[in-house]
Amino acid sequence: MQTGQATAGGQVYEAAEQNLSARRKVWGRILIVAASLGLAIMVMWQLLDSMGVIATGFPNWRPVAFAYLVWAIALGAGQVMIHGENGHRALFLLPALLFTIAMVIFPTFFGLYIAFTDWNLSSFTGQKFNGLDNVRALVADEYFWNALLNMVYYVLSVAVQYAIAFGLALLLNAEIKARKFFRVAFLLPFMLSPVAISWMIGKSLMEYRFGPLATLMRHLGWESPAFFATPWIARLSIVAMDSWVWIPFIMILLLAGLQALPKEVQEAAKVDGATPWQSFWQITFPLMLPISVTAIVLRIIFQLKLADIVINTTSGGPGGATDTVSSFIFREYRDRSNVGYGTMVAEAYLIIIIIFITLLLKVLRRWMREENDA
Amino acid sequence: MKVELYNRLMSMSRRDMLKGAAAVSALGVAGGYAASTPTFAAADDLRAAILKIPGVGKGSPTDADWQKVGEMTLGATKASIKEGEFKGVELSFMGLNNQNLHNLLFRGFLKPWEAYTGAKITWIDLAQADYNPRLQQAIASGTIDFDILEMGAPFEGDVGGKGLASEMPDWVKKQIEFDDLVNYLKPPVGTWNGKQIRVTIDGDTHNFNYRTDYFADADLAKAWAAEGHKGDWSVPNTWQKVQEVTKFLKGKKIKGQDAYGYLDAPKGWGGFGFYFLGSRATAYAKHPDDKAWLFDIDTMKPRVNNPAWVRAIQDEIDALPFEPADQLNADPGTTGFQQFLAGTGSMLSWWGDIGSNAKTSDSSVVGDVVGFSILPGSDDVYNSKTGKWDTLASGPNFSPNMAYLGWGVYVMARVDSDSKKHKAAWSAAAHLGGKDLSLWTAAYPSGFQPYRNSHFNIPEWVAAGYDEKFITSYLKSEADSYNHPNAAIEPRIPGIFQYYSVAEDELAKIFAGKATAQAGADAIAAAWEKLTDQIGRDSQIKLYKASLGM
Repeated sequence: MQTGQATAGGQVYEAAEQNLSARRKVWGRILIVAASLGLAIMVMWQLLDSMGVIATGFPNWRPVAFAYLVWAIALGAGQVMIHGENGHRALFLLPALLFTIAMVIFPTFFGLYIAFTDWNLSSFTGQKFNGLDNVRALVADEYFWNALLNMVYYVLSVAVQYAIAFGLALLLNAEIKARKFFRVAFLLPFMLSPVAISWMIGKSLMEYRFGPLATLMRHLGWESPAFFATPWIARLSIVAMDSWVWIPFIMILLLAGLQALPKEVQEAAKVDGATPWQSFWQITFPLMLPISVTAIVLRIIFQLKLADIVINTTSGGPGGATDTVSSFIFREYRDRSNVGYGTMVAEAYLIIIIIFITLLLKVLRRWMREENDA
Repeated sequence: MKVELYNRLMSMSRRDMLKGAAAVSALGVAGGYAASTPTFAAADDLRAAILKIPGVGKGSPTDADWQKVGEMTLGATKASIKEGEFKGVELSFMGLNNQNLHNLLFRGFLKPWEAYTGAKITWIDLAQADYNPRLQQAIASGTIDFDILEMGAPFEGDVGGKGLASEMPDWVKKQIEFDDLVNYLKPPVGTWNGKQIRVTIDGDTHNFNYRTDYFADADLAKAWAAEGHKGDWSVPNTWQKVQEVTKFLKGKKIKGQDAYGYLDAPKGWGGFGFYFLGSRATAYAKHPDDKAWLFDIDTMKPRVNNPAWVRAIQDEIDALPFEPADQLNADPGTTGFQQFLAGTGSMLSWWGDIGSNAKTSDSSVVGDVVGFSILPGSDDVYNSKTGKWDTLASGPNFSPNMAYLGWGVYVMARVDSDSKKHKAAWSAAAHLGGKDLSLWTAAYPSGFQPYRNSHFNIPEWVAAGYDEKFITSYLKSEADSYNHPNAAIEPRIPGIFQYYSVAEDELAKIFAGKATAQAGADAIAAAWEKLTDQIGRDSQIKLYKASLGM
């Protein structure tokens, strides 16, 4: 078994071999098996109780959670007993791994189970397995597809946000006066809560009657500056607010990338007589591609979760024009206690996001490779 | 009392106070609205003493004041409970902490009760937004961890329908002087399967708020006559007139500002927005000969797509182009607080908060030009049984919308197995719903509106420092709604807010022009049918009947 750890220098450090007694190893194995059995018995027992097969279970699942904790500790101790120093190493990883299983992997799979049930909290019959009914309902749900179409628009707006953020990053990277002040000032929107922004901007600045922005628009000749009354203007208004919050995020990533660029290449281009335009497109932009891709992908992931500004400002209106998948899920859960179907929408959306991001990364990687080859 | 109304009271001068005191004696002679209620002279000394805590103009009440009120109103408890009788009993109380009221007040009120009885209460405080999910999760997962619950009547279906509420003992009914409740809060509201389950501590209704200056404006009156409208220029008392006035006002000016008529709230509001369509629809849909107006009683078939509701939806569609340009993005919060109170629009249906904010809110500019009445009626009313529109011999059909039905205190059935705990829990609930204590909550900031006939004794309010004209108009609109024989009572069935929430989504599409009134209403009805099947049609029918006392 490979127990060594290769370093950057190519040296391999072997963990000190310990003379572990066979008895210690056996007890270690017994500990793990006993804890695993205990956990399995408790899970089964509680499962049978909740299914109504037996009636001697615990009042809730909390004891099973404690059993998982005990099992995790026993597993760690068992590793040390069996593998010695290597077991100690495992202890660095095990807590994080078990925590992720408990908090991410298990809920995701449990969520999948819930997604295939008919579970309205007000229902007298409680949770019922309903096969593919929720999937069929999802396929036929025009609110979901409408929200998904809106997400396409919102995601496309990331391209504009990226362009603006790049421009701002270039400005802040240049030798301008009060550069530090502007760097902090431009970051401020990102530091604000989107909920606060939806009130300060959406409900105050853009307010039809007394909002300063509406007043300004009237002065500029827009007779009825209603920012949220027609579908496309409402969508653009939401995008504008969302962009205001998130452009600084893209900008700061790009700025960090710009500052890390080797100065020599740009100076060499300058000496060779390249114009700033040529210098940007031929040198800066290609060199910035990796960081740009990271920024865009991260931003798209955040964008796909857009909900707060929409819920606060338009509630998805007018007529669903600004609705997002997340705000739709919010309504299904909070307002309608429709846990089964709401979970199906959430799980389906998660799968769509994973597929979309995977494809996006693949396309971007291929495009970057072609760019580099060119 | 709502906080804002109290703040207004606080801002009154000593001169106002003296005027108020003078008005007490004047009213005693004049009779008027107060004549039907007990006179101030007959009022209990205790009630007068309670209203002096802390006293008008002496700052907002504190925990010490709440405790003092709790102590002074402990008489009824002492009459039925021996000192220290509940020693060792521990009760858990779940309620809200909105505006630092509700549970915080209850703590103060119940502290002397705890000291006297020996019981101990632990508190579960929830923000409004967390309340429904917490309650639904506790019910669905069978983890009820509270003995006493502050709850709105619309949730009675969720709690009462699942047998989770304890039945009110007769001694509690007697202690809280149950008969003093306004009509609509009497059974079937607060009952489940004929059993009383709630100690009422609040009342709710939508009333009609209008601008008196609009309807006294000579130029508008002249224009109204010039355009050939029938009748005088006056406050509309039917929805037909509301529509006519709304269309007439478009393009007119009042005091140099754009004039507008009725203010609709087409944007969803977490289910609560549906109440506002309801206020437009009740006069059309609630027939005096029929208790039901939202669903057919025997089948739970939705009526939301019948001609009455479709007419109300169509009215809103027709009115929207005559309302402010961004009305499509207006929820009830916008219409009430950013529009009506800020001077935009002349007619509005809302809860009592508009009246209580009109003179107190810094952003209100309508304090001196606001009037109140019950919701407008309709020249004809739809008869679901015959499928025809009836014109009543008595005149327009009125049907105030008893939206939300107010807060109550409920005891959970889990205490029933322990007689001592059962008695203690009901004693605590009865203390909070006591007649005298409730006068204080009606008159000082508490988050609760008047809900007893004894709360409408105007001289008591005037003696406390209220402007007589204002409080009379305001309370009259509330009392007339509460006691109306054809009031539209909300179905207290499980998941009622789910129905409202689904409807809001469909209505948003209708108002955005994506569906006609009929097609949209049909879509709401279809979604409601699906929801009824999901929750359980048979049980919903049974519970709907139970909620109507049938």
